Amino acid sequence: MMKYWIAIFVLLLLISTQAQADIVVVVHPSSRLKHLTQQQVIDIYMGRIHSVGDIDPVIPYDQPQDSEIRENFYQFLMGRPIAFINAYWARLLFTGRASPPRQVTDNMSIIDIVEKNPNIIGYIDERNLNDRVSVVFRVVTRAQ
Amino acid sequence: MQRFISNSLIGFTLLCVTGELTAQESKEPRFRLSGFGTLDVTAAGTKQIGYHNEFSHAPQYGGVSIFSGSVGGLQLDADLLPKLSATIQGVAKERTKHDMFNFLDWAFLRYQVTPNTTIRAGRMGIDLFMLSEYRNVGFAYLWARPVVEFYMPISLSHFDGFDIKYSRRIAPGFFEFKAYGGQTGSDITVSRGDLSLRERPFFGANASLETDHWKFRLTFASAEVHAIRNQPYHQLFNALNNIPAALWPQAAEVAGHISAEGKQSSYYSAGIAYDKNAWVMQSEFAWFDSKWPSVNLTNGYLSIGRRFGPVTWYSIGSYAKSLNSPLNILTDPAAPANIARLQDITETAFNRTLIDQNTFSLGARWDLNHQTALKAQWDHTWIRKNGGGFLITQEPLTQDTSLDTFSVNLNFIFK
Repeated sequence: MMKYWIAIFVLLLLISTQAQADIVVVVHPSSRLKHLTQQQVIDIYMGRIHSVGDIDPVIPYDQPQDSEIRENFYQFLMGRPIAFINAYWARLLFTGRASPPRQVTDNMSIIDIVEKNPNIIGYIDERNLNDRVSVVFRVVTRAQ
Repeated sequence: MQRFISNSLIGFTLLCVTGELTAQESKEPRFRLSGFGTLDVTAAGTKQIGYHNEFSHAPQYGGVSIFSGSVGGLQLDADLLPKLSATIQGVAKERTKHDMFNFLDWAFLRYQVTPNTTIRAGRMGIDLFMLSEYRNVGFAYLWARPVVEFYMPISLSHFDGFDIKYSRRIAPGFFEFKAYGGQTGSDITVSRGDLSLRERPFFGANASLETDHWKFRLTFASAEVHAIRNQPYHQLFNALNNIPAALWPQAAEVAGHISAEGKQSSYYSAGIAYDKNAWVMQSEFAWFDSKWPSVNLTNGYLSIGRRFGPVTWYSIGSYAKSLNSPLNILTDPAAPANIARLQDITETAFNRTLIDQNTFSLGARWDLNHQTALKAQWDHTWIRKNGGGFLITQEPLTQDTSLDTFSVNLNFIFK
């Protein structure tokens, strides 16, 4: 009986770990962008900067509006709840300053679009990582 | 002004056509239609005291109204060239005057000169205070309505001209500086009837610094009253300027003192905002320095909120106070009755523009989903004698009074 409970515990632990996989910010493998700082990722996804070095423009893509990965991305990247992000982008959009990042349907769509354009960056669940994209920043979602 | 708007619209249409041709060469969408709205129900005012939370709104004399805070807006953005874009925005809401001048909130071209510098030209939102540019977009801010004491004195929503913005990351945070110039105006309702105001030149600058959780902002703006249209105002000034000096020697001096035309106003403000995890705080203070004494005032507010999941509870304390004392004309007992009557009218007309009030508010915002928020807010306002300039009354307030205002509204955006 004890073995049975230990097995369930280990399984739950594994599932829990799997559910808290990191989020990785990715670009095209040929991009000159090799590394981004946390501040640069924040500035790009908050519409503050549109270029990094001589790479102009840098075009961010977002995950679906109501997805858990989007909520986790902004929460763990900058400690802001998703309601703040939504209101923030309403402010930028309706003051004509910037348009929010375009949204795609899932992780694979991000990889597909990043693969087509070296100026695009996106973020995906690290479990979906493959050699079609390169990682430039990692958002750690596990408790430190 | 009308010609400017027409030219802007024609120019925008031509640019959209150009953009359409360019769009055929690219798979990226060149045009984006988005919108926002607020469905509001407000209980405010009394039979004697008309309430409005913007000077451009008709007053509400008690009861419940859906017009006080309801707004609908549409915006079209077009990427015309890699560095050139155009934006046009129309806003429908309760107004003193319904025409194209008021409906068309924005129509501007934006060009990114360098990665850090952007210039815009056309009709743009006035960026005086933290919410100035998006006060119509309820979803974008916490409260059920912009703080009356702070945002109501600025009845201007847009200006025609240009602005230049420079932004860059510096050591403590993200820095932004903006300078602008042009002309502006508004059509509003005051106790003496509808009033049209046109101001030029209008210019100003603001600077802000945003760190991870703090935002600091300083603003300066200046405007000169170019024209004012209000029938009672002109009747009063004609009467004052035509009185023989023998009957009232100071009449012309009084007229010069309370007149608006050609007088310059300067606005100074400082703002601070904090947002970290569960807590949100925002505060702004302003000083209006004008040679038009009706406009001289100081105002400010402090708002503190706390998030509980999708619901944010908040409270606000705010004040607005005219810096000028009530006009007190020394009447000569021997003066003819019509002169004494005119002196009384002059005194009343000036004193009812003075403002002296405080409000305490409690409210909640509930983010229903990523594009919709439900808000409710209760305000209790104390207005002092000769301080009811934000209200519409038949007679000036001769004693202190208080008002309660309650609003529930549904705010949404689509994009």
